[in-house]
Amino acid sequence: MVDGVWLWLTLFAIGSTTILTRGSFVLGGEGARLPPALQRALRYAPAAALSALIMPDLLLDAGAFDPANPKLAAGIVVALAAVRSRSPWLPFIAGMGVLLLLRKGLGW
Amino acid sequence: MNESFKRGAREGLTLMLPMSVGLLPWAIVTGVAMRSTGLSAVESLGMNLIVYAGTAQLGTLPLIAAGAPLWLIFVTALVLNLRFVIFSAALAPAFHGASWSKRLLSGYLLVDGLFVLCADRLLRSDDPHWRWGFYVAPAMLCWSMWQLGGLVGVLGAGVFPKDWSLEFMTTIALMVMLVPMVKQRAMLVAALVGGLGAVLLRGLPLRLGVIAGIALGIAAGFVAERWSEKRRQAW
Repeated sequence: MVDGVWLWLTLFAIGSTTILTRGSFVLGGEGARLPPALQRALRYAPAAALSALIMPDLLLDAGAFDPANPKLAAGIVVALAAVRSRSPWLPFIAGMGVLLLLRKGLGW
Repeated sequence: MNESFKRGAREGLTLMLPMSVGLLPWAIVTGVAMRSTGLSAVESLGMNLIVYAGTAQLGTLPLIAAGAPLWLIFVTALVLNLRFVIFSAALAPAFHGASWSKRLLSGYLLVDGLFVLCADRLLRSDDPHWRWGFYVAPAMLCWSMWQLGGLVGVLGAGVFPKDWSLEFMTTIALMVMLVPMVKQRAMLVAALVGGLGAVLLRGLPLRLGVIAGIALGIAAGFVAERWSEKRRQAW
């Protein structure tokens, strides 16, 4: 465990990456503009990034590929809820409900 | 206060409100995770303020717990945050003429949901006052929700049963952001390739698989867009 003054140093080091990455081009100013083709390509960044964080959680179980796991089943329910309903809460309630039912109720 | 700043702020807040609610569970989960890693309440709240990036916070906690060297924790956080370079580059033109302090604050506040919801309209507006309102108001809303949710998680860490798989709320929050975006075919291609790429390349060191997956997804979306354009022209 990193603790004491070292922990605070570590927290500032982690925080500096927040400013370095998010601030990079915003702080860089007008001189640092990306070419238009790259700009267009970058519109796909958020969808690709979100999915790159989501899919490993849904498809992997303890680091190994396993599509037959309760998180994927819950994830499908979340996707359906997000498509079908306007309620911001329903995907959370439905997703956690299914996951807890499968894990605790059925012991999957 | 400027009229168009207020109008921008109002429109931004209306747009952000539903998604900022989705931040709460994520912030609570992160708060609980920091406490259960062994950080004190003050240290956890400090991390929330200093880092203000859920993925980097959650991703570095295991390394903090394991007593990993500072450089490794730094590099891991940098890699987990790399996607923001892409967001920052895309958004930079919207800060044309803004002061350095506004840019610094804007950088600190640039979270995923803000980019997803606001980038398009920010880049299309040529009124700097409206743009500043439309950016900083929803950004502060997200920040407040994150700090508030974190506080609830940090103070209530002991109340939640550990075996409730609460960390899955993070994935649900990310999915709630993703689903409305993939109604366009090229976006769907970008998401599928990005996600499956990250799964297949998970063996790369330092979690670089996530970055590689994102890069592949962006390229695939771009190619899909080009293809559908060509088909349209051929018809």
